[in-house]
Amino acid sequence: MRVVGCLLMLSGCSIALASLALLHAQGQRYAFVMAALTVEALGLWLLAQSYRGVQLAAKDKR
Amino acid sequence: MIALLFILLIPFAAAGLALIHQGLGRSRSSAHTLLATLCAIAIAAVVFLAVGCSWAGHAGGAAHVLHGFDWLGAEPFMGQGLYAKPGSARETLVLCFQLFAVGLAAMIPISTGSDRWRMTAIGAWSVVAAGLIYPLLSHWIWGGGWLATRLPELGLPGFVDAGGAGAIQVLGGLGALSVGWVLGPRRGKYTQGMATAIPGHNIVLVHFGCLLALVGWFGLEGAASLLFYNIAPERLVWVAINCLLGASSALLFAVVATRLRYRKTDSSISANGWVAGLVAVSAGGAWFSPGQAIFVGLMAGGLVTFLVEIFELWLMVDDPGGAISVHGAAGLWGLVAFGLLAPPAGSHLLAQLVGVATLLGLGLPLVHGLNMLIDRFVPYRVDMDGDWQGMDIRELGSGAYPEFVIHTDEFVPR
Repeated sequence: MRVVGCLLMLSGCSIALASLALLHAQGQRYAFVMAALTVEALGLWLLAQSYRGVQLAAKDKR
Repeated sequence: MIALLFILLIPFAAAGLALIHQGLGRSRSSAHTLLATLCAIAIAAVVFLAVGCSWAGHAGGAAHVLHGFDWLGAEPFMGQGLYAKPGSARETLVLCFQLFAVGLAAMIPISTGSDRWRMTAIGAWSVVAAGLIYPLLSHWIWGGGWLATRLPELGLPGFVDAGGAGAIQVLGGLGALSVGWVLGPRRGKYTQGMATAIPGHNIVLVHFGCLLALVGWFGLEGAASLLFYNIAPERLVWVAINCLLGASSALLFAVVATRLRYRKTDSSISANGWVAGLVAVSAGGAWFSPGQAIFVGLMAGGLVTFLVEIFELWLMVDDPGGAISVHGAAGLWGLVAFGLLAPPAGSHLLAQLVGVATLLGLGLPLVHGLNMLIDRFVPYRVDMDGDWQGMDIRELGSGAYPEFVIHTDEFVPR
């Protein structure tokens, strides 16, 4: 899950940069950059959940 | 040379943050926290001079080019290019600013790693932060790199970070998040399905640190605005005014919100609110109107008040000093706020969002990957004895307050 989270964050960044290079209309750029940020947020959430899972498992062990 | 005066105020920011970090940690690790902060600043300065300043570069300097993207500086190592070059006063001032700024970025995660992060590991993090991560971001934002110079070629204004909200604070905040994940919580923080409150040991020093940080932020923001964005000297007074207004409104929001929520004002969250206001406004203090600075500060105070709880209770990240919310989240908010509010309103928003997407999407995986890699070779977390004894005894051999404090392990399950 951690690797997927990190990859999603990198993908989000790539989408943002690609939108600037490939699109010219401001509206389209905004839409893609917002989509990129959403993808990054999803990646961040996955990363956070994976570490939360580690804590919960440690707590159960205790 | 007015920039030099502002640069010389920056150590007050480091001193303020160090006091806040150690005050919000436990007394049995406070000497360790302060010494680790000094070591982080020292290592960062030396490593940045040795290699970092080469890669951070400066506007108009040599750069590595990758398909048109100016992605990394390529100046001579050890600052030789500046030392030998006559008439490079401005670049030398930039180097001086960077030497202080990189120390700030390196020391911020110490707040999150308080009570369990080993000194050697802190040193290793400082080497990587000052030698690789900070120079990369600094070059993109301030060194004539692609975020500052290539975006205009794509029809956007350049990404603006007038006081280090991105290159310093967000980097520090992301480092703090990653360190919190790698280290795990302090022993006794989460027991029986509940998060246990482990209060800071010296809230007086925390509040004194807030006042010192205000002075340091005047310097940080003033120097960066002068050196990287050539603001007119008469705008500097607005930097000072907006810093104060942003910090004040964030503090007041935190005071009121915690009073309404817990029936008593939470001193540590309020102090965190103050710093969050400084961080958020530092994205563009010279351009915000006073009303905008108050708005930015209020939102930063709100963010910190709620995010501290979300990180601690929901995400189970033990962050004693609240650095993730204060530096990471408030820094990102400041950058977005600049895009929304800086004149002409909204014109910078897309560039700022691209910058935020880059800082978050490239910055966090890079920082976290490097932290996990370092942890393999230099274990981050202190051993079990260190958890029980405290970092002062474990790593320094004596406590910070040997004659005045009697410890009880009330936060460690018996």
